[in-house]
Amino acid sequence: MIRRLVLDVLKPHKPSVVELSEALSHLQGVEGVNIIINEIDQQVENAKIIVGGIGISFEDVKKKLEELGATVHSIDEVAAGKRIVEEVRTPQDRSARM
Amino acid sequence: MKFLDQIRVYIKISGVAPISRRYFIMNAFDGATTVLGVVVGAYVAGIPNELWVIWSGLGATLAMGLSGFAGSYMAEEAEGTKKLNSLEKSMLTELKDSVVGKASRFASMWAAIIGGGAPALTGGVCLIPFFLSIHGSFSFSSAIQISVVLALSIMFLLGAILGRISSRNILFHGVKMLLVGLILTVIFFALKLT
Repeated sequence: MIRRLVLDVLKPHKPSVVELSEALSHLQGVEGVNIIINEIDQQVENAKIIVGGIGISFEDVKKKLEELGATVHSIDEVAAGKRIVEEVRTPQDRSARM
Repeated sequence: MKFLDQIRVYIKISGVAPISRRYFIMNAFDGATTVLGVVVGAYVAGIPNELWVIWSGLGATLAMGLSGFAGSYMAEEAEGTKKLNSLEKSMLTELKDSVVGKASRFASMWAAIIGGGAPALTGGVCLIPFFLSIHGSFSFSSAIQISVVLALSIMFLLGAILGRISSRNILFHGVKMLLVGLILTVIFFALKLT
């Protein structure tokens, strides 16, 4: 049971992020959507899409995005189960970043 | 309702609205001008009855409608395909089944309907007085006068629409467009006098 999906998506300028977020928010199991534009090129834009809900279907999200002309580049984060487990920092992470 | 929403989405995505507006004004003006030419020409040549004007006017209207439809469709289809191919290259994926591809195909058809419908509509409106004249609503010479007034009114209206689109003086732009029709009419009447 997926509760949160973070996707790296490439999309054309149209449909806009407004239409994209509205379309995704109407999917079954989706309770909220957040889209952040990371980069804008001449014809396309790169967006980070965060989908939250209870029982999100990745296939439905992917299909809807493809219907709207977008492509999923990577799945950057998935949270599933009875509750969302947040990322935790470990000493190893800190040393790796240094 | 869902169908209309879909159309609204396609118009927004394809950006066909300003293009179809241009096609509408250009081709509607063509339709009114051509039928005005036919009507004034028929008057100058001394055509005896309505049927001559109706058939030649309908022929011109049909030809303009078909030419507007086919021309707009082919031009927009080529432009749409070029744009879609370029976008597909940037996206590194096929988009023909996506809303972008569907909007592109819709845009060609939408432009064709507007491009073909506009001259047929304005041309047809200018011919209405002759149909009414056949049924005895008014005389042939009155039909000619009403048709000329209708054509000139359409031209004024199209100019006014352009004025409104560009947020400028509606009256001035209406009169500017009307002048073209008046020039055509004056040329024909001058020919009759010579």
